[in-house]
Amino acid sequence: MIEMNRINHQFAIGKKGKERVIPVLHDIDMQVKQGEIVAIVGRSGSGKSTLLNLMSGYIRPTSGEIRVAGQAVTSLSEGEWANFRLAHLGFMFQSFQLIPSMTAFENAELPLVLKGIGLAQRKKKVMEMLEQVGVAEYAGHYPGELSGGQQQRVSVARSLILNPPIVLADEPTGSLDSDNESQLLSMIQHLNQDRGTTFVLITHDEQVASIAHRTITLKDGRLLNAYATGGTLVYETH
Amino acid sequence: MKLTDQFRFVRQNMKKNKTRLFMTVLATAMGCSFLIVLASVGFGLQKSIVDKVVGDRLVTAIDIYGIESVKDINRIIGKENLDYLRSVDHVKAVTYRNYVQQSLSPTVEGVAANNNGVINVDFDAETKAGFGLSAGRLPQNPNEIVVGFNIRESRDGKQPKENTPPAKEWLGKVMNLEVQQLAEDGTKQKQTIPVTIVGISKQPSREWQTDTMVYIGNGLLTQIETFTQTQWGAIRPPKADKDNSDQPPGNQPLGLQDPRQYNSVQVIADGANHVKAIAEEIRLKGYYSHSIADELKQINLVFLIMKIGLGFVGTIAVLIASIGIFNTMTMAVTERAQDIGIMKAIGAHPSAIQRIFLLESSMIGLLGAIMGTIVAYLISFAVNAGLPIVIKGFMNENIPDDFRFSMIPPSLAIVSCLISLGVALLSGSRPARRATRIDVLRALRRDL
Repeated sequence: MIEMNRINHQFAIGKKGKERVIPVLHDIDMQVKQGEIVAIVGRSGSGKSTLLNLMSGYIRPTSGEIRVAGQAVTSLSEGEWANFRLAHLGFMFQSFQLIPSMTAFENAELPLVLKGIGLAQRKKKVMEMLEQVGVAEYAGHYPGELSGGQQQRVSVARSLILNPPIVLADEPTGSLDSDNESQLLSMIQHLNQDRGTTFVLITHDEQVASIAHRTITLKDGRLLNAYATGGTLVYETH
Repeated sequence: MKLTDQFRFVRQNMKKNKTRLFMTVLATAMGCSFLIVLASVGFGLQKSIVDKVVGDRLVTAIDIYGIESVKDINRIIGKENLDYLRSVDHVKAVTYRNYVQQSLSPTVEGVAANNNGVINVDFDAETKAGFGLSAGRLPQNPNEIVVGFNIRESRDGKQPKENTPPAKEWLGKVMNLEVQQLAEDGTKQKQTIPVTIVGISKQPSREWQTDTMVYIGNGLLTQIETFTQTQWGAIRPPKADKDNSDQPPGNQPLGLQDPRQYNSVQVIADGANHVKAIAEEIRLKGYYSHSIADELKQINLVFLIMKIGLGFVGTIAVLIASIGIFNTMTMAVTERAQDIGIMKAIGAHPSAIQRIFLLESSMIGLLGAIMGTIVAYLISFAVNAGLPIVIKGFMNENIPDDFRFSMIPPSLAIVSCLISLGVALLSGSRPARRATRIDVLRALRRDL
């Protein structure tokens, strides 16, 4: 489902002409199979968010090739990436990233609007999805009027509304209390089982990593092999 | 993304900062209004000065002097010539004026009119040509006539006598026209035809001119000619006395069966801009003609330059308003950077984002243009209504009733709206492009 071949990435910081290059990722080779829940773990600054951003197309690798859903995405234009995201990817963010001036309904509806789906069909689909994640009664509420858990549910509804084959989640439980965290993880597991949705989860939370079929560990921008077994993280040098 | 959804986004966005939106729309409206009002002065003065002061009919009329024949100018214009002239493209009407060839001694309630002659005109054509009336209407029945503005004036030397009652008092009154003819045996025969005065001609524009004519239509002319059995009601000359005659017998007038001749023929174009083409076309057919439109070309050129100048100044006002639109749209993009970033992150196409912002700036332009146009029409109306009062009050000068200081033809309103819309789109294009370049990661980090 997702293939990364010899991915290198570096950032340039500082003024033009006096830039300093900071390498972030080194020779990353990895695969995520269809229907898998993969957790990418590592310490802060290990490059896990950069890896997810490369998969999302928010940044481009300095070198290497990425294939998502069978398509080479490295050379896609910004417009092509937008269409690709809409067709294949769903996103969950640590800080939910809901648009504050839109209601829960309108936030969840956004991917359908971007795809050009008709109003009647949208209404039905959004209400079903909000029902499924348990926030249908808050459809008319603005994000500021919802709790963190409710906001994340709306965010989940938005990420799944187009039934994407892959969901990329960056610290999805980072802003949730333990109850809401458990509910979200259970929801992810159910979606994975029921719909066969592939999840890539960025986390440094052991509980999150425990639901993954496979855990990939990053250290200083390099990939280590690690598997979650019985909730314990075991690191193996690649 | 559907257009209706784009409009919904625009509506939602516009509601976010109503005061700023209102001020921007107001600035655009003022710019658009300024452009329309300035240019309308050029249109108004041109219309009043060229079309009104010189006179509509003077501008659009082409005088026909005659038609080229093999030997010389044949001054006789016949019915077939009139038919041809009527068939030319953009000819609104063909008028003629022929004197009835006897005085008809018109009287109203026994009072003789100060009449200089009776003229036959084609009132249908005159209606289209714009026969100038000071009161009443044009005839609709054969026994209705129009009389000259000065028909009741009698002159004392060169000056009209004082206290002459106005001709319009005769409106609706019956005028008796006495038709005469000499019978074969030389006896004088008379017939009185009562007619109703329904209109008074316009006062002649020059002080020394007077109009004391009686204008009759074709129906009444037929009645007169039926009695006289001659064209234009001409009286047959008395037969020469064979035994005692100093003079030869006079020329016999044309009979009703003879071909008609028409005088003072004018071709009226349906617009001043068609006069030249009509004149050239009929000139090719051998007609000798003249039009004042040739002399008006220079005046029109001056007004064209004036209108372009005023329009240019007005456009600068719209351009100044565009700075407001640019500022508003730039602020909008900055304020919504996070929202745009989120939309891009979940799959919004850059062109859809650009369209939303372009739509928003064009909505501002459109609202401003509509408001500006309405205000411009109100200002134009107020100027046309108020300035004559001000001028009369301060300068004691009378402005003609139909004089227009400002005129807004629909084309001016449409062009101004299009300019405002175009400028708004142009002002919004850079912020809209900027919106598409917003960095998703910075927006998600709320780092913008």
